[in-house]
Order: sequence, then C-alpha cells, then structure tokens
Amino acid sequence: MRMKRSLALGFTALFIFSACGSSATAVPSVATQAPTTAPSTAPASSASAAPAASVAPTPLAPDPAEAVIPNVEPNAEIHFWTFYLSPTFDDYIKETIARFEATYPGVKVDWEDHQATFQDDLKAAFAAGKAPDVINLSVSEGWVSDYASKGLLLPLDDKVPAAVQSTYFPGLWKEQEVGGKNFQFPWYQGINVDLINKQLFAKAGIDPASFPKTIDGVPALCQALKDKANTVCDIRLTVSDLLSQMVYEGNVKPLSADGKTFTFNSQDAVNWLQMYVNMVKAGTVDNDILTTTDDRVGLLLFSSGQAPFYATGLNLIRDVKANNSQLYNNLAVAPTPLGLSGVVGKGLMGISVKASTPFPNASMALAQFFTNARSMVEFSKIVSIYPSVIASYDDPFFSASATAIEDSARSTAKDVVSHYADIVPSLPTGVNQADVNDIVLKAVEDALFNGIDPQKALNDAVTKANALIK
Amino acid sequence: MTRRFSATPYLFLAPALVLIAVFVLYPIGAVVYYSFTSWDIVRPPVFVGLDNYQQLLGDETFWKALSHSIIYLLVTPTIIAMSIVLAIIVNRKLRGIHIFRALYFVPAVSGSIAIGIAWRFLFDRNGIINSILITLGVIHDPIQWLSDPGLVLPIAMLLTIWAGVGYYSVIFVAGLQNIPEELYDAAVIDGCSDFQKHWHVSLPGLRPQIAFVAVISSLAALKVFDEIYVLTNRTGGILDSATTIVFYLWKQAFVNEHAGYAAAIAMVLLVLTLLFSIVNVRLLERGQERV
Repeated sequence: MRMKRSLALGFTALFIFSACGSSATAVPSVATQAPTTAPSTAPASSASAAPAASVAPTPLAPDPAEAVIPNVEPNAEIHFWTFYLSPTFDDYIKETIARFEATYPGVKVDWEDHQATFQDDLKAAFAAGKAPDVINLSVSEGWVSDYASKGLLLPLDDKVPAAVQSTYFPGLWKEQEVGGKNFQFPWYQGINVDLINKQLFAKAGIDPASFPKTIDGVPALCQALKDKANTVCDIRLTVSDLLSQMVYEGNVKPLSADGKTFTFNSQDAVNWLQMYVNMVKAGTVDNDILTTTDDRVGLLLFSSGQAPFYATGLNLIRDVKANNSQLYNNLAVAPTPLGLSGVVGKGLMGISVKASTPFPNASMALAQFFTNARSMVEFSKIVSIYPSVIASYDDPFFSASATAIEDSARSTAKDVVSHYADIVPSLPTGVNQADVNDIVLKAVEDALFNGIDPQKALNDAVTKANALIK
Repeated sequence: MTRRFSATPYLFLAPALVLIAVFVLYPIGAVVYYSFTSWDIVRPPVFVGLDNYQQLLGDETFWKALSHSIIYLLVTPTIIAMSIVLAIIVNRKLRGIHIFRALYFVPAVSGSIAIGIAWRFLFDRNGIINSILITLGVIHDPIQWLSDPGLVLPIAMLLTIWAGVGYYSVIFVAGLQNIPEELYDAAVIDGCSDFQKHWHVSLPGLRPQIAFVAVISSLAALKVFDEIYVLTNRTGGILDSATTIVFYLWKQAFVNEHAGYAAAIAMVLLVLTLLFSIVNVRLLERGQERV
C-alpha cells in the first residue's frame, strides 16, 4: 500500500511538473498574437481589398544609381525578416530583392515573413544567436527602441552617408533615437485618421466636417453624440505606450530636463488624464474599448456600424469595406485631432540592421534599398501606405486625384508625414519601458475606474517609476 | 538464487523515459535555474540568487493574482455539484437522451479561445445579454460587463464552469452506470425518496470519480489562462481585476520580458499545485479504500 501510495504521489508530482512545463511552453503559442496595433497599420493583406491592389505594376529595371551604400561585402548572404507582408506582397518583395541583387551583384538575400509570432520568433532568434541581419521593426510599437536599447541593433548615423540620410524626412530619420543615435531606416508610413459613420452623425445632427481639429474638442463631441444619438465614443488609449500618448496629446514632459527622474505628474499630465476621467464619468466612451490592447476590437465595433467614429489608418478602410459595404458607402474621413504638443504623431515602420551582422554594409544596403524613393513609390501604388523619402512625393502618382476614400490622403500625405516626429524622450538607462507603462496604466485605470484623484494617482505612479531608476 | 539482469524492460521504457527527460525534466531544471536569474529572453541570463523570490514577497500584483487563482478554485466544487446533477438527469433511459448528452459535451470539444471569443460577444456592450436586458426593460443603458473590475473574474469562472460541466458529467455518468441497480432497489424498499436515493447511494458510489474530478478540475483552475487572455483582451482586466497566477507569469515573461521573474512565479505555482495534488491524491486513495 505504501509502495502504491509513493508511486501515486510520484506520478502526481511528475504530472504537475509536466503541467507546469506545459503552461510555460504552451503560453507562447497562445501569446503569439501579433502586437495589436501593428497589424492594424501594417498594409497586411490590404491589397486584397484595396482597388489599387489589383493593378500589379510592371517590375522596375535595375538602376546602378540605386547603389548608394559603399563597400558592400562581396558574396554576402543576408537574412531579411518582414512583418505581416506575405503572401499579399510577395511579388513586390521578391521583385525588389531581385532588383537589389542585380544592383549589388554577389549579394544574396534570404527573405522570410513572420506574422503573429514575429516578436516571439525574433526574441528566440536573438537568444539562439540566429537573428536575421535585416529586420522590419515597428517604430510605433517601440520595437526599434526596445531592441536598440539592448544593444542588438546597429547605430546608423556614422555609417550611412549623409547624402543618403538627407533623403528621408528629418523627423523620421531622427525618431526612435536611443542615446542620441538612430537605429532604423524609415520605411512605410500610415496616415492616421478618424473614420466617421455619417449615419450616426446625421442622427445626432452633427456635420462630419465639424469634426474636432484638436483633442480638446473630443469630449464635447462625445457628449453631443450621447445626448442626441444615444451612442458612445469608440476611443482607445494607447495602453501599450501611455507615456507616448501623454506626450503627443497632453504635451506632457515625462522626464526632467536631465532625463534622470520621471515627471509625468505635472499639471499638463493631470489635465490630460482628467479629460478622460470626465468622459468616463459622463458615460460618453465605451470603457471596454478605452483600455483594450487590441486595436481590432475598436475597429470591429466601428465596422459593425455601432460606433460614431474610430481613429485608425486609412489602409484599414478595406476592413470596413469588406465587412460592411453599407457603412463604407456612408463613410467620411477626418484628420486625427491634433494633441497639445502640436505634433501629428510618429512614424510607423522601419528597417534595422542587427548589430552583430557579419555583413553590415550589405545589410544597410538592403535596408536602404527597400526604403529608397523608387521602391517606396512602387509599394505605395499597391497599397495605401506613404513613403518616408521626400523625393517619392515628386512622382505623379501622389498628385493624381484619388477617387476611393481610402486614397483620399494621397495629395496631403507629404505634409502629414513630413511632420511626423518622435518627441518622446528615451527612458533612463536600464529602465524597462513595459515596467513603466504598467505603472502608468495602473495610475490611469485607478483614476478612470477606481475614483482615485488623477493628481494622486500620477504622484504615486511617478514615485514607483522613479524607484525603477538604478 | 540470483536473478539475471534483463535489459528488455529498460529498452521498452527507454523511448518514454527519453521523451520525459527531454521534454519534462530538462525544462523543469531550466525553470528552476532561470528562477535564480535576471533574464530578458534576448540576452543571456544573469545569476541574481534569491532576488526574484524576494521581489515576489513585495509584489502587490503577484499576491493579487495568487488570490484570484485561489478564488478561482471555487469553480471546482461548483463544477462537481453541477456535473453530478447533470449526470443524474441524463442518466435516464429517455428517448433522445443521447442527443442531450452530446450537446452538453460540445463545449468540451470546442477550443477555449473560440469559447472565450463567443463569450466576449455575449457580454459585449452591444452583446446579446445587454440586448435581452434592455428589451425586457431591466436596464436602460448597456452594462459594460467586461470593463467592470468586479465582474470579469466571476464571468471567467462562469465560462470555465459552463465549458467543463458537460465534460465532467460524462465521467459521472460512467460512474453512475457502474453502481449496481440492486442498491437503488433496496433504497426504494427502505422508503427512500428520489433525492434520498441519490444522496445515500449515488453520491457514495461516485466517490472515486468525485476525487478524480476534484484533482483535475482544481489543477485546471489553478492554471487558468485562456479564458482570462481572451475575455480581457490580453490585459488581465482593468486594475488586474482578473489577473491569475498563470496570466501574470505569462505577462511577466512575454510582455514585460522578465523571464527569470516569471520562472520564480512558476516555481510558486508548482509548490501550490503540488500541495493541492497531494491532498487530492490522499482523498482519491481514501475514496478507493472505502469503495
């Protein structure tokens, strides 16, 4: 009996061990959903719905003038990862790689596209010492600064010729700087807009043309929509990077001038938070959407015709079109209200080079090639994305009148993109952005849903955040 | 008399032992090691001794998550009671009863993520539950169920119970069918009512199944993740209102990139589940001895 009991306990212990093991190993597979805002702004599969996508441009001929990076290593074989671009953009990517290989003879490119598991795959690849040489990273999600701050990306300022650097919009080249250095070639950009349900606005007697130009006009709009159309606003906080939202919307200075202490409990920060607290108290926003990490949840609600407006990328109008053609025909678009900082926002995607690549010049050449004017204009013709290179906008494509609403920003895109800039200062060395964001998120949620005074919530959060600085 | 050594049984055991060593024992050893390190996954781990465990003691969110996991254990007695009642109901020779049994089992063969998404639609601000309540005049404005810190955890528990009742009731149906009919006949002769028949005959007869279900459902409750992940859209709920220990472990490892700290949380979970299992195995043995 004792033997039997020991065996039973032994097997139970083994079962638990394996259960715990399975938890730990199964989790990544569950957790492999893509960071939620990135796919929303990535042109993933948009070509399938976008009218322009059906017109496949003729492949460009190689042009020796595109070889602008010197001393490319002969016979380099470089690995390139993209995020959510296959299979929709396979032809474009393969043709661009073929043109690159013809422009830099001897260099071979091995391309892989990773999607929902991109971040997990990349982290595992870095851990195993097998990370790709050239990596498509999201700027808006903070991936560039995340990997750069860990010393995993190549600083570019002193390696890329000044003439090449100056081809990009200055704000885009300088965004996501870590320690004053740039680690990415700016790639495709999105235009953030608010999609408007004209039917709900008509029900409330509000003209879509009167959509607020600045963030401080949003609470009054939401109140009017609730009072007159009995609907609430579909607004999402950037819960993965609240400091950033504070900076752009509230003109908050999150760090002291010397960058050594957190200061996001200033009057500007309190005012910013109070605006959302007031909306929650007034019941004019959907609380579930307000704090979701998943951009698609808000977009889905808007697509179902139940929300009056939603801030997203123009390229995602394809989702509305695919899911609700009636709403698509009743759609208006307005520029996203400007925050108190006066800066529209930061860029979307970049291409970075691994710090430890044996082929830094070939890798920089590929990253630069994909982001040069010719390549980006071709990309823009396939899907509603916008180039980071100034000269791209000289192409007649951007002055041609657009008929589809998803292309409505084409003529104004240059102005919008040229004003993109990262105005969020780097965190003190050794401080993990996710840890700070957790602290800020708790403070925001305490103020929004727990009745805590915004000033007190932010004071407590600043104390906790400062404790992270070593 | 000396026994001759035979390699044959070890050869038969070898494949299973190798698999266990590679996929169970090695990962366990790795988790134990990582729990003493600071590790962000992309860079090599750095040994920090007991720092992670020390940090756990002062981590409010960890204790909150632990308390949520313990509260989640309330699912176990509820699910056992409901499953037994359901098993007794469907253990009758009625026409079409097999259809009901199959329907009750549907959640067990559906993916937990799919179920979670379906429940999100149910409890959505514009979901069917609010629509019914508004139609019936019970409420005027929709309730934001999943963004109310007091409601998310109970809704997740409800989901787990709903999804598990059908599965566990099948185990109890099998147990009920093993109870000799003569015992029920004797109970009737002794003047037992229907309720008393089940109280005095069915429940004691189901003791081994009850102990078994208690073990596996309490372990499942302690390890709950999918329901929380989907219902809260990966957030763990407003103010961590539905963050459980495994969800917190996942968040620390894969969102905040503190894999070493997450490993320490896993070790605490291991101790907790081990304790529960020892208690449950003892109960299981006692149940078997009595039967």
